[in-house]
Formats: sequence, C-alpha cells, structure tokens
Amino acid sequence: MISVSYTGEGLGMKSVEENPHNITQAEIVVGIPSYNEAECIAFPTEQADKGLSKYFKERSCVIINCDNNSPDDTRHVFMQTPTSNPKIYISTPPDVQGKGNNLRNLFAKAVELSASAVVVVDADLASVTPQWVRNLGEPLLEEFDYVAPLYVRHKYEGTIATNIAYPLTRALYGRRVRQPIGGDFGFSGKMARIFNEAADWTDDVGQFGIDIWMTTVAMRSHAPIIQSFMGKPKVQMPKGPAADLGPTFAQVVGTIFDLMCAYEEFWKGVKWSRPTAVLGFGLGEMEIPPTVEVNVQGLWEKFSMGVEARWDLYRSFMPPATFDKLQEVAGLPREAFEFPPVLWAKVLYDFACAYKKRAAPRENLIEGLVPLYHGRTLSFVVETEPMNTQQVEELIEDQCLQFEKCKPYLLERWAAH
Amino acid sequence: MAKILIVDDEEGIRMLYSMELEDEGYQVIALADGRELLEVVEREQPDCLVLDIKMKEYSGLDLLQQIRKKHYDLPVILNSAYSSFKVDLKAVAADYYVVKSSDLTELKEKLKAALETKIPTE
Repeated sequence: MISVSYTGEGLGMKSVEENPHNITQAEIVVGIPSYNEAECIAFPTEQADKGLSKYFKERSCVIINCDNNSPDDTRHVFMQTPTSNPKIYISTPPDVQGKGNNLRNLFAKAVELSASAVVVVDADLASVTPQWVRNLGEPLLEEFDYVAPLYVRHKYEGTIATNIAYPLTRALYGRRVRQPIGGDFGFSGKMARIFNEAADWTDDVGQFGIDIWMTTVAMRSHAPIIQSFMGKPKVQMPKGPAADLGPTFAQVVGTIFDLMCAYEEFWKGVKWSRPTAVLGFGLGEMEIPPTVEVNVQGLWEKFSMGVEARWDLYRSFMPPATFDKLQEVAGLPREAFEFPPVLWAKVLYDFACAYKKRAAPRENLIEGLVPLYHGRTLSFVVETEPMNTQQVEELIEDQCLQFEKCKPYLLERWAAH
Repeated sequence: MAKILIVDDEEGIRMLYSMELEDEGYQVIALADGRELLEVVEREQPDCLVLDIKMKEYSGLDLLQQIRKKHYDLPVILNSAYSSFKVDLKAVAADYYVVKSSDLTELKEKLKAALETKIPTE
C-alpha cells in the first residue's frame, strides 16, 4: 500500500511523506539525504538494510530517504529497492532544496518516531558497507550522543576540513573531531531533539553548512562525542583542491562564522582542546584511498591573481603586522612559496572578526577568503608531497596546535570589534 | 594540588615519575597494572592519568577505550617507550602521546597543558 500524506508545519517546513508500512515508532533510523540520486541511491539503501538486519535485528528499524523532490525519480528507485526493513520517503516542498533542509525533515521525523539512534549516510556513497551502519549507530545505544566518522582519505582530499573546519572548530570549541564535515554521522534521539529545536538555523545551514552546524551544536551541547573508524576509504567523486569550490565553501565558512557570533560566550571560555572517544583500532589493514590529482599551477594562479585584486579589502580590516606578512608571502616566488600555518590562523581569525563587524558585505568577505584558502592549500600540497598518511596527520595536528596557540590573538581582535 | 594517577608496570618508572612529579607539587598515585584502574579512577578522582601502553597483562590502549566510556573528560597522557603506537587509532582518544625518556620535560609540559585545558560546562 502506498500512502502519500502532507504533514503539518514541522519547523515551518511542509513535507511530503510516503510511509507505506505506516511506521509510527522506530529505535534505529538510517537517513539518506538526496537530490537527483536515482542512479546511486539503491546501493546505500541496500547496504543500510544489510547493516540493520545484521547488527540491529532485535530492534525496530526504518530507512528514510529525505529528498528534495528530485525530478529524476530518486523516490521511485528508493522505494522500489528491495529491503527487509521498512522504508519511508520524505521530501521538502518543490521549491526547497539543500542537504540541510533534508536533514531538518529527518530530525523532526526521528523525534516523531521516538528514535534512539539515527545514522546518516550520503546517497552517492560508493564505499558504504553494513559495518558503517553499525559503527555509526552502535555507540549511540551506549554512552554517546554524536558519532563522527574517521575515514582513510587521500591527503589532498577534504582540504576545507583539513585547513579550515577541523583546526577552527577544535581551537574554538575544544574538541578534536577530525572530520567535522564528513557527511556521514550518527546522533542519538536526544541529539535529534536538540537539532530539531535549535534556534540558530540559517539558509547556509539548510544547504551544505549542515555538517559543520551539527558537529558544532553537538560540541556546544556538551554531547559525548565518539569518532568511529569506517574501515573503508570514503569514495565519492574525488575533486582536487584546485577544482571549482562551488557554493560549498561559502556555506561551510559562513556557517562557521555565524556560529562564532552565536556561541561567542562559549568559545571564549575554551582553552586548548580535548580528544573524543574513538571506536576502531589500527591502521595496518587500511585500504589505499583513490588518488586525488592536484593542479598546482591552477592553485598558484587562483591565489596570486585573487589576492592582487583584493589588497584594499584585506587592508581594510587586517592589523598592519598580519597584512604586511601576507604581502610578504604573496611576493614569494612560486618555487619557494610557503603560507605558514600561524599566518593562516591569524588570517582566518581576522576574517571571522571582520564578518562579525560586517567590515564589508559578508558575501564579499567570504569570496575574498577563497584566494587565501587556495594559497594555504598550495603550501600544504607542496609541503606534504613527500609525506605518507601518518606524517601528514602529524603535520595537521601541528597546524591545529598553531590555531590553539593563536587563540589569544582572536580573543583580542574579537573584543576590539 | 592536582592529583596524577600513573599506571606503569616498571617499578623504576613509577619511582622516577612519582619523585619528579611530587617535586613539581603534584600528588601522585601509582599503579603497577590496569587491573583495578576503573575502580581507582572512580575512587580517587584523579585530575590526569599517565598511562603506559605496553604492559605485561594489559594494553594501555584498551584501557583508554574503557576509560573514555565512563570518564569522557578525564585527561589522559599515553606514555610509551615506543612511538609506533601513535599510528593506532585508539591513541587518538588520548590528550597527548609522550615517548618515554629519562628527561621528563615533555611529560611535564603536556601534563601542564592537559590540566590547563578548559571547556565550559555550561
């Protein structure tokens, strides 16, 4: 039986729901956010079903596709994928898109179903296994409220996480979550209620700002966090760090800066950082992630041409010492180029302060950060070229330490605005 | 006075650390193995745990996983003669990893940082 119903105004968002088994309660929910994923969604749906049947067979489970009314028949493919666990399809209204808006529907549905654990996996994941469902879900039935993934990733993949999201959230909120925008998460029913009721929702959060928003809200809520090793590398469409950033960069960075404004009383009281719990062990059996090619010349051009056009903007809000150092770095020849992590930390902190003060239109500020991000990424790529995964991770940890050591700079500059 | 709990199966290490850290003004409790670690942590409420990794009957990395379930916010410094355990993901759950040395400067620095770390509770 297929029933289509229009639910009420959950968080101000109407949604379309297809719930053929009339599921009204579920302990474990796997959510798959999507938009135009008809070609891919069957695979994570099957894997989620296997994971639920293998590891949570004693519990009531449901798989939910939270979609953006995809015109490519994602809904049909999802609902027709054979599974032993029941499925629910939810969609935002036709004019509402974005991963965050999908998850907003999921939060409300998880609360409605009184779920104890919610696991989220991306619809285009080619590497998800039943074990991912266990690793992201099981800790939520014990002491933990939020599960972030630990993947093996190529050193040049996820450079927004490596050079911005991880060091910033760690220095600000004091928790070391290596993949704060990993895309695949687990959260408890308690956390679903917190997300569902959170007041600081923005347009960026409704899009790709959702991942950093969830991680930050979990940190701010003092939720016990665990990082869970997924075993297999995350395989999506690999993109080099010189590729077009699209809107993701602005949505992630804008969300980080918005949350800095909202949570300033919290992060001002944080000093240094603490680890989380970890599920998983060893690295001996790890698979090699797909190689990510880097267009070094492209990064160089985006950096050098981008800063050249924006010196007036940078001068308008950076203190002279930081601005002079930035000019010095921009004057280095390509073959000796280096963007030191201490300067990068100060630059990001200055942008955050300018964002708070609205020293320029916020979209111009974030656009102005892009060439500098390309510069820092270029420096990171060159420095880590001869390094193996472990050496790169140690370098990333050192960078995080620089962010933590520079925090007094942020506090001073923030107070001055 | 901060209370430090040391778990190490080498008596010489326990004596050295106790002496040096007491000189720094810490109160030190030393255990020779991890058998009753959870109970001792519960009872003594230490401010920081210095945990050996390779002990005769216990793995410090396994003990760390147990500790994190019950005592999520207890600062833990892994302390080993080997740097190779750094690559084990379980080590990520430690605040710091310090390779053993007769010079305790790094251990003392990390201890100070671990005790200074502050995350508001409200």
